[in-house]
Amino acid sequence: MKTYKYLEVALVIGAIGTGTAVYAQHKTGQYEAGSSGKITQPLAQPLSTDSSYDEGPLLTYRPTLAPGDGRQEVEVYCNTCHSSIYITMQPPLPADTWAAEVTKMRKTFGADFPDEIANKVVRYLQANYTPDTRKH
Amino acid sequence: MLSNTKLFSNETSRRKFVRAGLLAVATAPAIAAWPALAQQNSEQQITAQLSAPEFTGPEPNPFWNSVGPLVTQPQKSPLILLTDRPVQLETPRQYFLNAFTPNEAFYVRWHLETLPNAIDLKQWRLRVDGNVEKSIEFSLPELFTRFQPVSVAAVNQCSGNSRSRFQPRVPGGQWGNGAMGNALWTGVKLRDVLNAAKLKTGSVQIQFEGLDRGKGPEGNGSNRFLKSLDLNNPVTDEVILAYAMNNKPLPLLNGFPLRAVVPGYFATYWLKSLTSIRILDKTDDNFWMKSGYRVPDTPRGSTTPDEFKTGKVPTVPISKIPVRSFLISPDGLDKIPAGFPLQLQGIAFSGNGGIKKVEVSDDNGKNWREAHLGDDLGPYSFRIWQFAWAPKHPGKYQIAVRATDGIGNIQPDEGVWNPGGYLWNKIERQEIVIGDAA
Repeated sequence: MKTYKYLEVALVIGAIGTGTAVYAQHKTGQYEAGSSGKITQPLAQPLSTDSSYDEGPLLTYRPTLAPGDGRQEVEVYCNTCHSSIYITMQPPLPADTWAAEVTKMRKTFGADFPDEIANKVVRYLQANYTPDTRKH
Repeated sequence: MLSNTKLFSNETSRRKFVRAGLLAVATAPAIAAWPALAQQNSEQQITAQLSAPEFTGPEPNPFWNSVGPLVTQPQKSPLILLTDRPVQLETPRQYFLNAFTPNEAFYVRWHLETLPNAIDLKQWRLRVDGNVEKSIEFSLPELFTRFQPVSVAAVNQCSGNSRSRFQPRVPGGQWGNGAMGNALWTGVKLRDVLNAAKLKTGSVQIQFEGLDRGKGPEGNGSNRFLKSLDLNNPVTDEVILAYAMNNKPLPLLNGFPLRAVVPGYFATYWLKSLTSIRILDKTDDNFWMKSGYRVPDTPRGSTTPDEFKTGKVPTVPISKIPVRSFLISPDGLDKIPAGFPLQLQGIAFSGNGGIKKVEVSDDNGKNWREAHLGDDLGPYSFRIWQFAWAPKHPGKYQIAVRATDGIGNIQPDEGVWNPGGYLWNKIERQEIVIGDAA
């Protein structure tokens, strides 16, 4: 009988122990500052009853190009027809692919800039956006 | 920066905060010293908030969507940014839980930077000209009233959807899987409009032009985006010039006030903000037909980089959407307790006669079981599928989904490669983590 009593006590202690353990597995009340930014809700535009269906300006989200020689030329020349996000969106591409892209922009799409600028742009892209060179 | 006095209204609450902090610091080592518990909590320590990387590669993009940030644009919910000028936005995965993709979440893809911000409907006309008896113009109200309206549920998928899966990677918009959407499109039949203009003999193609325009020199691909369909292509009889998308006007970014809907075909033919239909008496040789949006004339449009470099791989304009399917929920972002009665759900679609069957595997494609198909909304629509699944044991499960289309094509387990990054339709997989629950 006495033995059973000890066992009961042991079980109760054990149960308390387990209960504590389970409770301690929960985490509560932890916070940290959000770092992914936030998107402000756009306000509805005032609407007129005339025949113009106007959504207003489109919004630009400028990427940060890698610093380095040729960046300014990219900002000036490539940005004429498209945002330089067309560069940062790409996966790291082989050096000859970047050369071919710049040739396509000039020969196929008629981007009007001299050889020396084109060479500088190609060198910049190769120095910053290939599998070996891309850092961010 | 906020000072303490602003953060805490009075000294007492500041003290309380400090005390709570000290208590936490004092308790923490005790919990950490309980090694079994610390390890049981999680295999990986969850610390700071994780954000998607800025780019993927040179390996395939491992995420369902592309990795860009969520951004806003006029008439749009926050969507995933690919490019801002011209605009390309991807639809996040969760919107595909419904058969119809909301207009405000529908993906966006323009080619050239001078896209429209505003349309004046007093000025806007749809012009039909070229090899016709008489050129005609229609105002939008004329399109509403002169023709019998028709509707079709149809998937609009970008030719380059899932381009970021390619290996080796190819340049172009690095889409994940969200360059697609399904809508109920309502408008007039192209045939009715063509009949009103009376085509002359010798007509071979119909060229579409919209307001997708750029600053490039006239006659160049960078000046205007143009696409053509063969007059004798059976799809021509299916084409709708749509003024409504899910019973609402189209958002400007999706082609207000009128866009071509080419059911079963890739979105490159679905011209936005349509202004002109030109009947050609010879095959269109503009850049976007002759050089752009072409695929190898090989099985599944696939080749290899070396083969393509020889210059001997023949190409044809891209056309029908091959069969695809996706698991949408659960999406693998949450741990699920063992035994939980899950309902796997996703979509399937094909440009070849709709969906006949969807199968699901929970062992990485070894064994397949048939899923339940949802309402049939027509052969060009998303088809919802569901599959009850209650895994009893903890573990990491590779769920694979494959669809069979109306003409018996089954999704293959091999990818494709072509320089444009088109036609991806490999079987998709999603890891689902099942946790211990008792």
